[in-house]
Amino acid sequence: MRLREMRGYLCVCAICVVVSGSPSALAQTPSGILGARRYLQFCAACHGSDGRGGNKAASLVTSDSVRTRSDEDLFRIIHDGTAEGMPAFAQIGEDNIRVLVHFLRILQNGTAPEKPPQRVAIAGDPDAGSALFFGKAQCASCHRMQGKGRYIASDLTAYGRIHNVDAIVRAIVDPHAQSTPSVRVVTVTTKKGQTLTGVLKNEDNFSVDLQTQDGRYFLLDRSQLARVSDSGRSLMPRDYAQVLSPRELDDIAEFLRLAASKTALMNSEQ
Amino acid sequence: MTAVALLLGMHAPSAPSQTGRATQRNPSALASQSQDKQVGLIDVTQNDLLQKPPAGDWLSYNGDYTGARSTSIAQITPNNVTHLAAQWVFHAPAVSLLEVTPVVVAGIMFVTSANDAYALDAKTGNVLWHHARALTQGLVDDAGQHHNRGVAVLGTHLYMETDNAHLLCLDARSGSLIWDVAYATGNRNYGATSAPLIVKNEVLVGTSGGDDGVRGFLAAFDAATGVEKWRFWTIPAPGEKGSESWPSDTYLHGGGTTWMPGTYDPKLNTLYWGTGNPSPDYDGSVRPGDDLYTSCLLALDPDTGTLKWYFQFSPHDLYDYDAVQTPVLVDARFKGRFRKLIVTANRNGFVYILDRTNGKFLFARQFAQTLNWAKGIDNTGRPISNGLVPDEKGVQVCPAAGGATNWYAPSYNPVTHMFYFRSFDACALFKSTTEAFEEGRTYYSTGTRGEGNGKGYINAFDLRTLDFAWRNLQIGPHKGWGGIMSTVTGLVAYGDDAQNFVILDGRTGIALWHFNVGQLIHASPMAYAINGKEYFAVAAGSDVFSFSLP
Repeated sequence: MRLREMRGYLCVCAICVVVSGSPSALAQTPSGILGARRYLQFCAACHGSDGRGGNKAASLVTSDSVRTRSDEDLFRIIHDGTAEGMPAFAQIGEDNIRVLVHFLRILQNGTAPEKPPQRVAIAGDPDAGSALFFGKAQCASCHRMQGKGRYIASDLTAYGRIHNVDAIVRAIVDPHAQSTPSVRVVTVTTKKGQTLTGVLKNEDNFSVDLQTQDGRYFLLDRSQLARVSDSGRSLMPRDYAQVLSPRELDDIAEFLRLAASKTALMNSEQ
Repeated sequence: MTAVALLLGMHAPSAPSQTGRATQRNPSALASQSQDKQVGLIDVTQNDLLQKPPAGDWLSYNGDYTGARSTSIAQITPNNVTHLAAQWVFHAPAVSLLEVTPVVVAGIMFVTSANDAYALDAKTGNVLWHHARALTQGLVDDAGQHHNRGVAVLGTHLYMETDNAHLLCLDARSGSLIWDVAYATGNRNYGATSAPLIVKNEVLVGTSGGDDGVRGFLAAFDAATGVEKWRFWTIPAPGEKGSESWPSDTYLHGGGTTWMPGTYDPKLNTLYWGTGNPSPDYDGSVRPGDDLYTSCLLALDPDTGTLKWYFQFSPHDLYDYDAVQTPVLVDARFKGRFRKLIVTANRNGFVYILDRTNGKFLFARQFAQTLNWAKGIDNTGRPISNGLVPDEKGVQVCPAAGGATNWYAPSYNPVTHMFYFRSFDACALFKSTTEAFEEGRTYYSTGTRGEGNGKGYINAFDLRTLDFAWRNLQIGPHKGWGGIMSTVTGLVAYGDDAQNFVILDGRTGIALWHFNVGQLIHASPMAYAINGKEYFAVAAGSDVFSFSLP
């Protein structure tokens, strides 16, 4: 294959990779395909073909500080660049930037159901969902909502802002369909034989910093450790579809959605 | 090495199973032994905040409620300080000139950089979490520079201000946002550049914008819920005491902002908070009279925000002489009698001693080596003004608008009995024309020129002799903005007018050690200890440096 043909072939494949990484109905729309094309053109070199970051730039899919930004913020960042070194892309035109923002949301929202949702569209009960979150479903044994919960998994306070109910329920019943978890849980064994398991916050040649489930930090010298092992997998249980009813799943999802949309912003003059 | 907890029971779930679920979802198996004040365990009590002077932790901007910035950690002494070495550097990307004083809790350091907060391993400088928030566009003056002086902590919560005067409550263990309160609305020129102060179960915050025509205030919020408890306006409304200075709606733009943290005496249950200059800065024609409560020290009841007493350093100020410099609480002998004092060096060129039980003026001494705006201070504490009024042509006034001292921290050391502070001697041409207030613009009416050629000093004022023990002229290419701290072993640490972090013998002023950090130190240093090992840390340029003995 000649080089030009190969490049074209690779471009098409890359688009397929990006689009197939998120085979939602949205990604197949004309704007989704255009967004994928523009993404490959302008963004993939630094942010990775799947949006999950590369050597040079952050993950757009898993990084909270990107996910929780508004569309206006994302537009501005692409348009103006950042102080951290992202170049400005104002020259590609506002229409293209809007297409990119739309495409970013497709990347962030993950997979779509292969079948249409079975549930009737009645909103779940957020109060029941809260009780489940902190009770029977034991989500708070690992996750946090608004400062309450544990530290072995991600903070879900803003999760409901950019995930709809279906996406939240899918993430609960089929968590391992998502790609790599955003936290790494490691186990360390000291040279004295003690072991500790927690989320890895930082590591380098000299130190390992862990946070255990209760939020406490262990700031360790690597020279004192005999072993550091990484399970490489999410700790999220895989059987919530059996443990919780569809109604309960909706309740939890509605709790997350409402908590995120409720304005934590209080105007003290009111 | 820090202690490693014993792992109890099973962990690391494998394949899902009915029997395995309880372990997977009930990871109490991961619980660690709980011990008092272990490294890595963040939980600050109100009792912790009452400890003075700071020991291993540095729990607030000024270290403790007295504002003395004098650590009791005794590992580093005049005999071994020459061995001090840099341990690590943290680089904060959001701004180029940090103004933060780090806070350290249980071996974890918290710093802010513009609207971002970071938790660092204080032994290594590695980042444990980072809370990011975009800079606010369209702010004026100091808020538009996105300065941020740091955090406050209570329990497992961390509090910080944003450039657009929001108070954030973050989970100190993860950096996640718990609540966000917009606390200064109604005027686009409000901003915030300070660090909050925790008193009891309240978070106290002020604003910037005192040169931009805002109405200053100090506000208290419930630390758990973010609900406002009280607000004290520094500019009185029509009909209130002092309102004769503020005709019509000028009180809405009177300045008097509370842009630096104050101090607190728990036994007297009194907050001490300085206020900024009146607005517009150089045009006094629109604000006749003393302009209460600008350029004042306020003594407030922390439970209600009620004013107990006030002392005004510069009535009807025309030269931008803020009074937000730390009102340091000192218990010491004054003229033979043991008293509860406030010692403070003011922007107007005088160092003051007040009785903090009632605000009584006790003493003032001119420290600005060039000063022409007043003849002196009378026996009530009121300046005898020389009546220099800025006008269209310009009037030469000393000190210049930047003041004979500014926000950089002073320190009082109970071992040397000395009050250490930085000063700057300069004059400027002050010009004024009456202008209208406009949102989105500063409100100086109009400006100054010629402050550049000044001389900086680090001063040691001896409270026993009421005179200067030494005054060190600072040599360097820049006007220095580095603040000071001191130690129980008699050391004084500060950033100089070049790029050095310096440690002096506090008794003599002789330099014992210095380190070129390669950038301007525009912040005040602090000290902390982890398992008995003492560190100094200071923000310099866009970085935070930490030093200790090898």
